[in-house]
Amino acid sequence: MTLLDFARGPALQWSLIILVAGIVWRVLGAILLSTRKDLSTPRRKSGLKDGMGTIASRSLPASAFEKRIRFQHITGYAWHLALFVTVLFFGPHILFFESILGFGWPNLPNGVVLFAGAIALAILIALLIRRATNPVQKLISNADDYISVIIVMLPLLTGIIAFAHIGARYETLLAIHLLSIEAMFIWFPFGKLMHTAMTFPSRFQAGTSFGRRGIKA
Amino acid sequence: MSASEAISIRAEYETGNVKPLLHEIRHALERLLKGEDGTIIDMRALPLAPGEEKRIEEALGEGEVRAELNALGPSVILETSYPGVWLVTHRNTEGEIIGRQIEVTFIPSLLESQPEDIRAGLAGLENELAEDPA
Amino acid sequence: MRKDQNLGEYLRAQGVSRRGFLKFCSATASLMALPPSAVAQVAEALASARRPSVIWLSFQECTGCTESLTRSHAPTVESLIFDAISLDYHHTLQAAAGEGAENARMAAMEENDGEYLLVVDGSIPTGNPGFSTIAGISNLDMLKETARGAAAVIAVGTCAAFGGIPQAFPNPTGAVSVSDIITDKPIINVSGCPPIPVVITGVLAHFLTFGTIPDLDPLGRPTAFFGQTIHDRCYRRPFYERGEFAHTFDDEGARKGWCLYELGCKGPTSYNACATLKWNEGTSFPIGSGHGCLGCSEPGFWDHGSFYKPISAGLWGPRETLLGAAAAGAALGIGSAMAARARKNKALKEAEADSS
Repeated sequence: MTLLDFARGPALQWSLIILVAGIVWRVLGAILLSTRKDLSTPRRKSGLKDGMGTIASRSLPASAFEKRIRFQHITGYAWHLALFVTVLFFGPHILFFESILGFGWPNLPNGVVLFAGAIALAILIALLIRRATNPVQKLISNADDYISVIIVMLPLLTGIIAFAHIGARYETLLAIHLLSIEAMFIWFPFGKLMHTAMTFPSRFQAGTSFGRRGIKA
Repeated sequence: MSASEAISIRAEYETGNVKPLLHEIRHALERLLKGEDGTIIDMRALPLAPGEEKRIEEALGEGEVRAELNALGPSVILETSYPGVWLVTHRNTEGEIIGRQIEVTFIPSLLESQPEDIRAGLAGLENELAEDPA
Repeated sequence: MRKDQNLGEYLRAQGVSRRGFLKFCSATASLMALPPSAVAQVAEALASARRPSVIWLSFQECTGCTESLTRSHAPTVESLIFDAISLDYHHTLQAAAGEGAENARMAAMEENDGEYLLVVDGSIPTGNPGFSTIAGISNLDMLKETARGAAAVIAVGTCAAFGGIPQAFPNPTGAVSVSDIITDKPIINVSGCPPIPVVITGVLAHFLTFGTIPDLDPLGRPTAFFGQTIHDRCYRRPFYERGEFAHTFDDEGARKGWCLYELGCKGPTSYNACATLKWNEGTSFPIGSGHGCLGCSEPGFWDHGSFYKPISAGLWGPRETLLGAAAAGAALGIGSAMAARARKNKALKEAEADSS
């Protein structure tokens, strides 16, 4: 079995099993946690509107902090957008998803995707450097932050290298790219990458519970 | 007509290999005029789409000189409409193409008489003259 | 060609002029994928080339490689090269059979000990020796015996080079490649199923011309022919770059000649010269005819999943395994939530008990 066969076969299969089982485990585990019964009288009937409202409001910078967090805010959006373009609209990636999901969608030209990938990688490197040098960020960062950033950076880096055929034969580069993604799949449920699944539900939850207490959030 | 031309369905797409080749020829001509060495481009080493070889031929056109060589099958040495750009096509005794080159040079070396052949020819001529002293 | 003659003398004796010889050299240089500037070097080497003895052994094969070679589209060059080598044993092509043929092989081995060129097509079964025999001799024994005195071995075709189709899962004969058996001789792998005919003659021409082994890639293949992928030299590459793919074999993209990546083309991971040398007098090659590359020049090409599966797609069992994973995750999630609730209730009760 070649390295590429391994990366496309058993390594992919097992990393996906860990990814799916891990996500379901953590999401269900969080949903099913008991909350203490709130005995207070609700200020108003809270529901969907409060939850969705908070999802929206927290997606924009809080006006009080706007100036100070502008950098994170813009780079954060740019990075996620560039990542989505890279991951979801490169022809070979769509074929990869199709082999797992059973359906595909139209792709973008390689030039657009390569540009997005380079932007995503550059932003991530900038953010990593900032995390490691900015005193406040340094203080609040733990190993999980660094591992999560680096494990996402590697597929971007190896993907661009494979696309450009630098340093080794294409089949080796492609195998390394796949293996780096599989490493991310394995790490995904256990670290901060879980924000992908948790961010919006937890904002929703916060929104409804604040709404009940009449807090504007 | 080659076997592929006999097929009535034609591919009409352009991959853009013709232009870069013409630019390469342009650079080779500039080098030649500056006194540098000539250039030979092996057509077999180019990744050409169906029909592109013909398009290259058409783009180069036919010039003033057309020489035929008969050695191990016919070869055609053609100066294209751009002086200094030669299209050399070697065929075997069965008429199949065994090599195709674009030569950017003052004269393809294959047209020059070769010292070995001149020597053999000279010996033949001397023999002829010795037999016929008149 | 007499054994004491070199190629230059032989051609001159045949009435070939120096000019004709240079034409031959030019075609040969092109055949060897050498730059045109190497013609003078080729001419010098070829003029004094001696006639090597060649023994050709065919093992577990379909004769496709020999068919490919004998249909090489340059008969003049090819016949000159075959005039220039002494093909002393090739059981498909020779008239002799049985004892007589084996005697010819033994004689050639003795006469040219340490100097002859061994060409092998087909893989070697290591299971039952009776799976494939010639004149009662097992393939394994014949290869070992014949390789002993060879100057070099050329493994022609993917079967001889990497095991090929006989080695495909479940490999019933225990087929292996030449390099799995012979480890003390230079081996040139000329892979392909079959190899491009001019690549076979090109490698023979290289050995004949320079008497050396050409530059080889990590898999033992001449870099002149196997140095780049099909994808790298494909005329459809610009469509790949633009993200223009044929989705089926008869859609608009297919008619416009777009990239066949989605239809399982193995061009990006296959090293061969099809995209430039092409097949059938340079007429076309699989991608030129609208079908993706199968990757036939690569080890294990038969076992890399479907020919029609894109190379970026996963190669694994049914998707249902992921449903199983989701179920396992659900069980784990429910279990851990229950356990957390139980712990919480216990702590609450303890707290109540403490406060009362």
